[in-house]
Amino acid sequence: MTETRTAPPAGGGAPSPRPARSGRLRPPRRRRPTGAEETRAGWLLSAPALLALLLFLVAPVLMALWVSFLDWNGQSNPFDGDQEFVGADNYRRLLAEDTLLHRDFMVSVRNTVYFVALNVPAVTALAFALALVVNQRILKGRGFFRTVFYFPSITSSVAVSIVFLFLFQGSGAVNGLLALAGVDGPNWFTDSRGVLHILMAALGLTEPGRTPEWAGGTLGGLPLWEWLSGPSVAMCAIIALTTWASSGTFMLFFLAGLQNIPASVYEAAMIDGASAWQRFRYVTLPLMRRSVTLVMTLALIASWQVFDQVYIMSQGSPAKTTLTPAYLSYARSFGDGQFGAGAAMAFVLFAIIVVLTVVQRWIGRERD
Amino acid sequence: MRSHPVGRVGAAAAAGTCLALLLTACGSGYGDTPEGDGALTVLFGSSGEAETAAVKAALAAWSEESGVPAEAIPAQDLVQQLRQGFAGGDPADVFYVSPDLFQQYAEGGSLYPYGDQIEDVDDFYPALRDSYTYEDELYCVPKDYNTHALVINTDLWEEAGLGDDDIPTSWEELAETAEQLTEGDRVGFALNGDYNSAGTFMLQAGGWFVNDDNTEATGDTPENLAALDYLTTGLDEGYFSFVKDIDAQSGSEALGRGRAAMVMDGGWVTGAFDNDYPELNWRAVELPEGPGGQATTVFSNCWGIAEASGDHEAAVDLVRYLTSPEQQQAFAEDFGAVPPRESLADWTAETFPEKAAFAAGVDYARGQVPVPGFMSVLNEFTTGMQGVAAGSAEPADVLAQLQRDGEEALGE
Amino acid sequence: MAQATRAARPLVRGRAAIWVAGYAVLAVGTVLYLGPFIVQLANSVKTDADAAANPLALLPDPFSAHAWRRAFGLDTALDMPIGRWLGNSLFVTVSVTVGRLLVDSLIGYALARLRFAGRSAVNALVLAVLAVPGVVLLIPKFLVLKQLGIFDSYAGMILPLLCDAVGIMLLKTAFEQVPRELEEAARMDGAGVFTTYWRVVLPLVRPALITVAILSFQGSWNEFTHFLVATSDPAYETLNLGLARLAAGPLGGAQQFPLKLALATLSTIPVLIVYLLFQRHFIASQMNSGGKS
Repeated sequence: MTETRTAPPAGGGAPSPRPARSGRLRPPRRRRPTGAEETRAGWLLSAPALLALLLFLVAPVLMALWVSFLDWNGQSNPFDGDQEFVGADNYRRLLAEDTLLHRDFMVSVRNTVYFVALNVPAVTALAFALALVVNQRILKGRGFFRTVFYFPSITSSVAVSIVFLFLFQGSGAVNGLLALAGVDGPNWFTDSRGVLHILMAALGLTEPGRTPEWAGGTLGGLPLWEWLSGPSVAMCAIIALTTWASSGTFMLFFLAGLQNIPASVYEAAMIDGASAWQRFRYVTLPLMRRSVTLVMTLALIASWQVFDQVYIMSQGSPAKTTLTPAYLSYARSFGDGQFGAGAAMAFVLFAIIVVLTVVQRWIGRERD
Repeated sequence: MRSHPVGRVGAAAAAGTCLALLLTACGSGYGDTPEGDGALTVLFGSSGEAETAAVKAALAAWSEESGVPAEAIPAQDLVQQLRQGFAGGDPADVFYVSPDLFQQYAEGGSLYPYGDQIEDVDDFYPALRDSYTYEDELYCVPKDYNTHALVINTDLWEEAGLGDDDIPTSWEELAETAEQLTEGDRVGFALNGDYNSAGTFMLQAGGWFVNDDNTEATGDTPENLAALDYLTTGLDEGYFSFVKDIDAQSGSEALGRGRAAMVMDGGWVTGAFDNDYPELNWRAVELPEGPGGQATTVFSNCWGIAEASGDHEAAVDLVRYLTSPEQQQAFAEDFGAVPPRESLADWTAETFPEKAAFAAGVDYARGQVPVPGFMSVLNEFTTGMQGVAAGSAEPADVLAQLQRDGEEALGE
Repeated sequence: MAQATRAARPLVRGRAAIWVAGYAVLAVGTVLYLGPFIVQLANSVKTDADAAANPLALLPDPFSAHAWRRAFGLDTALDMPIGRWLGNSLFVTVSVTVGRLLVDSLIGYALARLRFAGRSAVNALVLAVLAVPGVVLLIPKFLVLKQLGIFDSYAGMILPLLCDAVGIMLLKTAFEQVPRELEEAARMDGAGVFTTYWRVVLPLVRPALITVAILSFQGSWNEFTHFLVATSDPAYETLNLGLARLAAGPLGGAQQFPLKLALATLSTIPVLIVYLLFQRHFIASQMNSGGKS
């Protein structure tokens, strides 16, 4: 979550085309200081940041790549050659073989897929709605509400996780509110039932707790029926937290987009007699497509990176239904001492995120 | 012209930052020869303020005596902090080690074996020493222990008209009593539902996760199936329950809040009852016998010493002090640690009659599985047990999975 | 004419509808977004039992400052060295903020103003950093800190956080907007590159510096995962890390929610103060980064 907050441009967004342009516009006649001097100064000024990047980003990634080919238990120096070099074994055990590691990873992928399916649309819609309201000129005190909605986004994920843990206890505030509405709330963080399973059983499509015959196969080491579970009740609480905590940031993105729409466009629409809904549907929405794509991409990337909340609230339980790839990689490494497998998982996760980003950007671009 | 003073400040700033980064880069990694700094650090996972204070007091007393300063570091998450310490090449000198991690550390060369330097080492219970022996060498000595016992809410017990003679001594009696004590949203008997609690029943049935010398997976045995079937029947009938399913975090909470009339839990419940449920009337008795006889799981920690520590001699001396009969009695009085010495068995039984059941279990108990990498297997099994409780998994399938995962972890 | 009046009426109705719906959303939203913080505050002054039994009650019964007394280390021999946590948080946060301002502005200036061989490569590298998801770096960072021998040290906590591509880009953009003439005048007077940067240009990008400073402050005060893998010795725990370990550790089951909520509040207060003082910077920087794409 921290990542989305502080690094919203994530990849493609921020790089303004400015440097190139200003380079072209630069008057060619200015000659001092000389090129050699500028090069020297340029590298000197860049050196601290570059050194930090090389030492704490490039080097570590290369080291981890090496470790992902080792069977290393974290109790010695992985670079002294004493470790067993296992080649692509970690990756094979993770991706191809029917191992516990593989099943755990597939479970975490399943969990994340449902996390994405709920969180991305929810946070996009919520943030858009908040931005629309906060952008209405006729409403007073918009600044105050903007401040309120954005505040959770800058609060520490640790602090808000603890608060939500408290709110979602079995006899906690959320269930207290639900009880007021006559609903008997679940025991959030111990309920491993998938909501799709619950729904299918409630509709009488399946028998509670039994695998229906049509879902008997397996896919990627996981029973088909497990893939169809939906997010568990516990995961829903974490999704609620993430949606709540990140909607403020995305609201500001939408707000920026809304404020970029020239007032004249709306005036023209009003003169044409378009209703508020029509103005939204035919003016605002098409013009906000880029913002929507951006927010969805960022929310998608963030969903694959969920770690803090799981570490604090659930450690993957109940029944591994809140296990995420990031947490699994951490737990395998630092909990079980299987750093090779953990590192391999981190690289697979990295690849997934890169691929998804590229795909979503490509889709977003096609439509423009 | 470059020599403008402020220009130098900027250049100095850039150069200085680079230097800081470079110096960092040249710092030493691991492979350093251990070098004593004349002080000891002791990393421990505390059960609460009482334990922290007791350990601190003991260290202070030892420092006074030995002249070596010793710092107590209570860890919030011992496993992770210890592993990072090992991996970082600079672990604490002395720390708690649990059996499930012991072998991995011993195998990895992180532990300094000092068992042969403790003179009266035979006084420690054999079941506990076994937990800390790797390749016939005793690496560390136990600090205390606990076993699973049956904890009863005596008010509810008497309310139901039950007496001393009704204490269950067999699985059948446990089921009957639990059924009798089940009422409304209160279950008769609750257990944690994790691999430890299921494991205790597997032991009672004559089964276990691995064979006697921890070399083969024995997941899908008829004995284990009998244990799981027994639990499943109770869960299905509603007179057994896992604590999480009755909105409790632990057995003590389930009993304290009246959600269960009997629970299976370890001796650590006594502290929880004193702190959180002082009104509760309870007693602990030994667990009933299963078809495989009397059995329970023993939990313990040992005082590990880091191979990387530069003060092995001082560290061993400290451990000798901490595990002396007098100090163990002090720990028992301060925070309820059960002394792991046979010579203190009578003293413990007299001084803490309420703990007698937890202490007695050690005679027929087995320690946690020490196989490296088995934790994931057991966690997966716990997940399977949750499925069994929810009715979405069959015990036989869960055990078959346990067998496959166990074989994988043991490299069979 | 008739057309115009017909159009105007739905317009008025539309405005009223927007007004009502707008305030409805704002009211519900305020409850949803502020509610958790209010519940947090209310329960931090309850007894453990009261917080467990009446989590929704906004007034404690009885009022208990026990959790806060413990949070400030006034009660009993405590496992949690809160003073140390706060000190670490403060030291690391200030160091990272100062470090980032220096490092980011140096390279930002170079990228914005100096034509040097390899500049586009440097620029591309910085941009690539933006795309690296933080959580996949947990194990890599741990490895490098070990190898450098700065695991469990303040250096290991602070230096890796100096990689800050967002700050570099923010400052680079700001430097680009400084009129070139000012620099040229300084250069005419014989000032070198460093002097121009330090004396002439840096003061002109003050708003951007403030933005980077508050983002760094917020980011490093709230930082969790990096400190989690960079340290194991509790002596280096920050407030956030100590709190996370308290909540997640095996002893977390011992509930004590009022204490945890009090500590969570304690960790939120500095960020809240900075936010209220500088919210324009927070919001502007966030909107800029969103608006650009």
